[in-house]
Amino acid sequence: MSSTAAVARRPLGLSAGLRRFWLNPRTARALSLVAFVGGWQLIIPFLPTELIPTPIEVGEFMWAELRTDTLAPQTVYQAFATSLRRLVTGFGIALLIGTPIGLLMGLFKRVDYFLHDFVVVGLAMPSLVWALLAAMWFGFVEQSSIITVVLASVTFVIINVAEGVRAVPKDLVDMGKAYGASDLHRVRHIVFPSLMPFFFASLRYGLANGWKGLVLAEVYASTSGAGWTIRYWYDAHRAQGVIGYALFFMIFALLVERLVFGRLSRWVFRWRPSAGEQRDTRPHGGAGGDVILPESADADS
Amino acid sequence: MATTSTTRGLTSELQKGSQLDQQAKAKKRAERRSKWIWRLAGYAFFIGLWQFSSTYLVEDFILPAPLTILEEMREIVSTGLLVEHFGATLEKIAIGFAIAFVVGSAVGLLMGTNRWWEAFFSDWVLLMMTTPGLIFVLVAVMIFGLAYIGPVVAVAVTGFPYIAVNLVEGVKAAPKDLNDMARAYGVSRFNHLRHVLIPFLAPFIFTAVRYGFSVAWKVATLTEVIAGNEGIGFMMRTEFQTFSMAGMLSWVLLFFAFALFLERVVLQRQIDRFFRWRPEVTA
Repeated sequence: MSSTAAVARRPLGLSAGLRRFWLNPRTARALSLVAFVGGWQLIIPFLPTELIPTPIEVGEFMWAELRTDTLAPQTVYQAFATSLRRLVTGFGIALLIGTPIGLLMGLFKRVDYFLHDFVVVGLAMPSLVWALLAAMWFGFVEQSSIITVVLASVTFVIINVAEGVRAVPKDLVDMGKAYGASDLHRVRHIVFPSLMPFFFASLRYGLANGWKGLVLAEVYASTSGAGWTIRYWYDAHRAQGVIGYALFFMIFALLVERLVFGRLSRWVFRWRPSAGEQRDTRPHGGAGGDVILPESADADS
Repeated sequence: MATTSTTRGLTSELQKGSQLDQQAKAKKRAERRSKWIWRLAGYAFFIGLWQFSSTYLVEDFILPAPLTILEEMREIVSTGLLVEHFGATLEKIAIGFAIAFVVGSAVGLLMGTNRWWEAFFSDWVLLMMTTPGLIFVLVAVMIFGLAYIGPVVAVAVTGFPYIAVNLVEGVKAAPKDLNDMARAYGVSRFNHLRHVLIPFLAPFIFTAVRYGFSVAWKVATLTEVIAGNEGIGFMMRTEFQTFSMAGMLSWVLLFFAFALFLERVVLQRQIDRFFRWRPEVTA
């Protein structure tokens, strides 16, 4: 471990091929993982507590969890499946409520004036507050987690749909009309593609915020799900459990990001000529472009 | 004769112009008026709805009337609870956020200027951004304890990726030609930083601070809700446990008002001051 790190820092003495290998961004990514685990192992003696497990202990815990060998009432698959079901249900409801409101706000200025301030408040509200309020209002039932997701994500849907409607290129719609494109055709090929970036923004931020709210709602008002299970390990003072679950959360987020958003956005934006090339023409050239940046000013914790 | 007709034509043109001008102004005024009318109607509608549902639809402990909340808020402010607990929370935020800012800027600059380091950090930054704050709070509190370091670490860890990401964007968008020119004219490194790079990066830094700050608020509150013995979050938990909806809503509203004040007034003033060299400030 330490020898690889030392080599990485002085690639100059090596042959050109090896040097290229070290300078490859892929190597850097792999190395960052090694550095993380190594740093973790090394820092343990300096921490003010005996509680912290070594990477191996956590690895063993995670492996046992993955083989569904667990002390917790739910296995890791069940826990995440429960949470995912709630997230999808809640976000579906948020889409159903938020889309018509967003359409109205985008089309009619008066509706926009009427609702705008409240939508902004909803955007800025910590999901913690929604979770606590839902817990107080509905108690320990399935609905309170779902309602938390709805409350935490609906404003993101509203604001993005409204922005999207305003950004539909009117001249292109007019041109389509002039060239005799049918209504369906215009909606399918002009309105829809121009709405897509906004739809994705609402999906990304709405789901992210809904997910954060859901985890908290599960901690405070539920007896199942991934959030509840990490709480279970925390209350049981099992540090492997907490850190192991924290890593599961990260892996879950990464999977969703890569598989769902990556695939879906590539498919939806396949008509764009140079989505991939654009990155490389930037002044310093982005490596892989994997950092997802908050594009709208309303990203949320 | 010809001159008079020209002048007459000109004056009529001018009159027409000023008429148009006035029409535009009147239209604008009407627009603004309608905006305010609808906005106020919105407020009236929602407060009315709140009042209506708390009197007729649901029990008082589910949704207390607006006046009850106002009364409760007044009490919190007058008894000094507000200052005490906001101070406690703010202190954690300040320290944690300062750490996040320093580390985040360093990592962001490194990532922006070097592809290798970008690849090294990018996965982690992305992960830290998408992981729910609760996870960091639980881990930080478990490692460093509830007292002081735990919450500060939680704030620093959650604020860090937002700062790093914004700085990366800023560095990548930095004007290469200005850099080259500065080098060609032999501008010293310090002057280059002071007069080219930092003014250019400033908007990105402020965006970073905004994001990071709003995240820091939420995480600091969350830590106190999970495990703390003072601060806004602690008070929210107390109200939650005693099932006092009025108290809960009052703290939420106060929290909100204070966060808004800090961001819109305090931070915005700093931003305006910083950008005073710009010809037009539209903030």
